[in-house]
Amino acid sequence: MAMPPFHLLLPVALLAGFVGAMSGMGGGIILIPALTLLGVDIKHAIAISILSVIATSSGSASAYVRDHITNLKVGMFLEMFTIVGALAGAAITLASSPRPLYITFGAVLLGSWLALLLAGHKSWESAAPQDGITRWLELEGSYPDQALGQTVHYKARRAYLGAPLMFGAGIIAGLLGIGAGAVKVLIHDLVMGLPPKVSTTTSNLIIGVTALAGTSVYLAAGLIHPGLAAPVILGVVLGAFLGTRLLVRLSNQAVRRFFLLILAILAIEMIVRGIRGA
Amino acid sequence: MMADTLSSSTAVESAQEWRQLKMDVLVGYILLVGVLLSMALIIAGLLWKYIQTGGVRLEYELAGMNLFQFVVSEIHLAALGQIRPRLLINMGIVVLMLTPFFRVLASVVYFLVVLKNWKYTVFTLFVLLVLTGSLFLR
Repeated sequence: MAMPPFHLLLPVALLAGFVGAMSGMGGGIILIPALTLLGVDIKHAIAISILSVIATSSGSASAYVRDHITNLKVGMFLEMFTIVGALAGAAITLASSPRPLYITFGAVLLGSWLALLLAGHKSWESAAPQDGITRWLELEGSYPDQALGQTVHYKARRAYLGAPLMFGAGIIAGLLGIGAGAVKVLIHDLVMGLPPKVSTTTSNLIIGVTALAGTSVYLAAGLIHPGLAAPVILGVVLGAFLGTRLLVRLSNQAVRRFFLLILAILAIEMIVRGIRGA
Repeated sequence: MMADTLSSSTAVESAQEWRQLKMDVLVGYILLVGVLLSMALIIAGLLWKYIQTGGVRLEYELAGMNLFQFVVSEIHLAALGQIRPRLLINMGIVVLMLTPFFRVLASVVYFLVVLKNWKYTVFTLFVLLVLTGSLFLR
């Protein structure tokens, strides 16, 4: 495998972490196509990406958890499903040839592009009745909302539907080496009815453990290359840190348009490479 | 009498709530310390490599092995006094991988011992066992 030089890897990873944090999509979705463009083979790129996802997710989760926004019970219940999914997903990647991976990745990029394009401003409602299973699972909570200036109480619902869907989100994460946070947030929001802040921060917590399950498979397969890992982890973490700080200053619309453009280009590029077998 | 039972039950509830909040702090700090330590080890390894060789290119590969074999081989090297840049970088990767692992381990203990919540002890224990199994993959 051609190893790109450090002075190329670090800025690329920095940019991926930066854009990933600003868009809320995570670093992997940019990092993996970028690494393959630098000549890294796609399985190595996936393995390094999922390792770096542990760092970005744990780093941001640490702050959200201490601020009491993350719901640990929701997170720890759903983790049971995502980690098994991630192990399966990573195993599929190991067995697969590169071309279907390119095409699947491109398809997921297109899906994210569509989701971002259609993302509306839906308001959250707390009035949904909780079912018996979700109540038994104690999936409810409250968090201090600084924007509203009060404590928001909420009850999750439909855990029986959220759990198998989370298994699917885990497969995507392990298969493609991404956090798949967008998928997890969607399940939290639309299926389980969690408030947006709880849903994004809890997804963050789940991503770390899910990424670890995937990473362990790739480590055992000998795909974790320290020469790639060191600059990529550093760059992505630093980029994510900067991206989170800058998020408040840039307008949401500008970030969204920029990210839509990048996603579209990368999606088409990956699918073309998959079809042509580059 | 009524008021007494009521207030004591709220007291129990709020104590439980308080313990739950403490768990947030514990989990949050495990994650924070793990990531910072891992970054520090990787940066130190890269700096050392740079000072030693004038470059930061790392050519070695990790032969396919599980995390525990990896840790044992690293500790073995450290014990032999062979502390080199690549040892620091490898340790950075190991610490990073162990961070969510310890978060789950701490959760099992906390649910079992402090919150005495059997349901979530079982759930987190399942996650811990699956992760342990996957880290032993070879």
